[in-house]
Amino acid sequence: MSAARRPARRPARGRGPRLLRDFVPPEGVPIRLEVAGLGARLAAQVIDIVVTLLVLVAVMLILFLGLEAPESLLLGVGAALFFFIRAPYYIVTELFWNGQTLGKRMTGIRVIATDGRGLDAHAVAARNLMKEMEIFAPGTAMLAVRDMDAIGYLALGTWIAVLLAVPLFNREHQRIGDLIAGTCVVVQPPLRLLPDIAAAATVSAATQPEEAAEFAFLPHHLGHYGDYELQTLERLLRAQTARGEKAAAARAAQVQAVAERIRSRIEYAGRVEPERAEDFLRAFYAAQRAELERGRLFGRVRADRHSPRPGAGA
Amino acid sequence: MSAPQTAPDTAALRSTRFRAEREPGWRRLESILERAERQGMRALSFEEARDLARLYREAVSALSVAREISLDAALRDYLEALCARACLAVYAPQETLSGLAGRFLRGVPPAMRRSAPHLGLVLLVTFLGALVGWLLYFQDANWYYTLVPSGGGDPRGPDSPVGQLREVLEGEHDGPLDGLAAFASFLFSHNARIAIFCFSLGALAGVPTLLLCLYNGLSLGAFVALHADRGLGAEVAGWLSIHGVTEIGAILVAAAAGLRLGEAVLFPGPFTRGDALRRQGRDAVKLALLAAMMLVVAALLEGFGRQLITDMHTRLAIGWGIGALWAGWFLLGGRGGRA
Repeated sequence: MSAARRPARRPARGRGPRLLRDFVPPEGVPIRLEVAGLGARLAAQVIDIVVTLLVLVAVMLILFLGLEAPESLLLGVGAALFFFIRAPYYIVTELFWNGQTLGKRMTGIRVIATDGRGLDAHAVAARNLMKEMEIFAPGTAMLAVRDMDAIGYLALGTWIAVLLAVPLFNREHQRIGDLIAGTCVVVQPPLRLLPDIAAAATVSAATQPEEAAEFAFLPHHLGHYGDYELQTLERLLRAQTARGEKAAAARAAQVQAVAERIRSRIEYAGRVEPERAEDFLRAFYAAQRAELERGRLFGRVRADRHSPRPGAGA
Repeated sequence: MSAPQTAPDTAALRSTRFRAEREPGWRRLESILERAERQGMRALSFEEARDLARLYREAVSALSVAREISLDAALRDYLEALCARACLAVYAPQETLSGLAGRFLRGVPPAMRRSAPHLGLVLLVTFLGALVGWLLYFQDANWYYTLVPSGGGDPRGPDSPVGQLREVLEGEHDGPLDGLAAFASFLFSHNARIAIFCFSLGALAGVPTLLLCLYNGLSLGAFVALHADRGLGAEVAGWLSIHGVTEIGAILVAAAAGLRLGEAVLFPGPFTRGDALRRQGRDAVKLALLAAMMLVVAALLEGFGRQLITDMHTRLAIGWGIGALWAGWFLLGGRGGRA
């Protein structure tokens, strides 16, 4: 169990999600949002390019089907049309779908204004105009890379390196257009309200009083752990949907091991049968949470088991 | 430990009661959000729109309470997500296409007037470049090859006979495809690219923008000098004017927009560079869009106007007439109402 390790204060340990700082809507309550990964953004961009290219092909087919046009004309008109299709596409979709293009919808990300207010037309136009310079201009230049001299290679290389460096090396993964527009791409947070474990435990205790009597915790049992351990236990208890017999057996073993460790640490005198380990943990979770939350009401916050015991000095 | 112990099995946890009391409201907010996100705010009924705002504020307040009193991580995560989604829905952009176009058109002239110093600077640099280009050509005609980019198949140069130059200036093309081809090739021609770079490289302290303006002026000066040298001064003026007034104007506008970004990087004043970029960006983006618009007009003039109208005086009149229209719009437009 990770509870055995010294817990990190910040969730950004290892590959934790990057969180957007300072997103404060006008209501004044800061809201936590996760910055979108570069992979998701790249995927969204590819989807958008494919969509606009399909539209371009359709329009070109309608325009030039049956006409014998020289290749240079086709290329020229195609390049111009592509611009006149994609520029409004990005601006209009992001504006009317509240920060999502088709690609962003599919990958579950969206554009927001970092200042906590709504996106406005200016921000959307700015970030998508800069996209011309950041994505399409170097992209076109790379297509023409064959007839380029050494200076051209160098210039193109530096340009692309700078463009890549900006989103890679800032914390919110903002590209230059995002910086000028004051926007940021975040993950669309999923809405999932899981049942309250403590409520389930107290309800079952109320309906079956003899079970509650089985696991009764005294104050000295509840002084060992802090918020971090409680929420680690919550994660363990929520990870129920283990599929397959093997996984179920592994989880049962884990639950028993955790129950045994907690039992010995808090010096709980009663017996905990292996098949009752889960019930023991649920009851302990409810009791421990009640204790810690009561402490919070009186201003005694205990972050983890290493922080000083609340009330020890009182 | 002195805190009195109440067994958790007699009374539900305070945070559990807190959640039970508010959960129906959150669920309703969730269902309204679902509709708003999928079908847009216009699909909401009056009651739903009213409840969305009220329930959102309740949820935000619940989030701030839950952060203090609840240790249920699942509940906190849910409230964070719910508030974020609801906030983005409540403060969603409320734009219509016509409103957008109207605001842009009303915003451009004031933005132009605010950028007058930058415009003056790029104009000065371009003019100096043109002067130097002109002088260099008369010093040694071979400078022409260095200064003027040799477009694919453009036969004009110091070695060309007068007749050939005149032919290009007055040449007539016909057929709709020719006009279309000229239109398309123009858009991705040399000058359109210069305009794009002028704007987007402005963020690099404005130096590339000014260099590009100087270079553009140099080639313009040498080009005019070549024709003036052969006694075709008036003709080249007409040939250039019909689209050039708008086109060179577009380059200047794009360069001025780039300079404003460069100014933000060089002289952010009391702001951080990022904030300064954002502030200057408001006008710069308007100018960039305007430059794009002017380039399209110039492309239309080049693709169709220049081929159809070959009389020099008409060319001059149309070119400068449209130039005067732009200038009038920038000077007089958007004065009433909010800028």
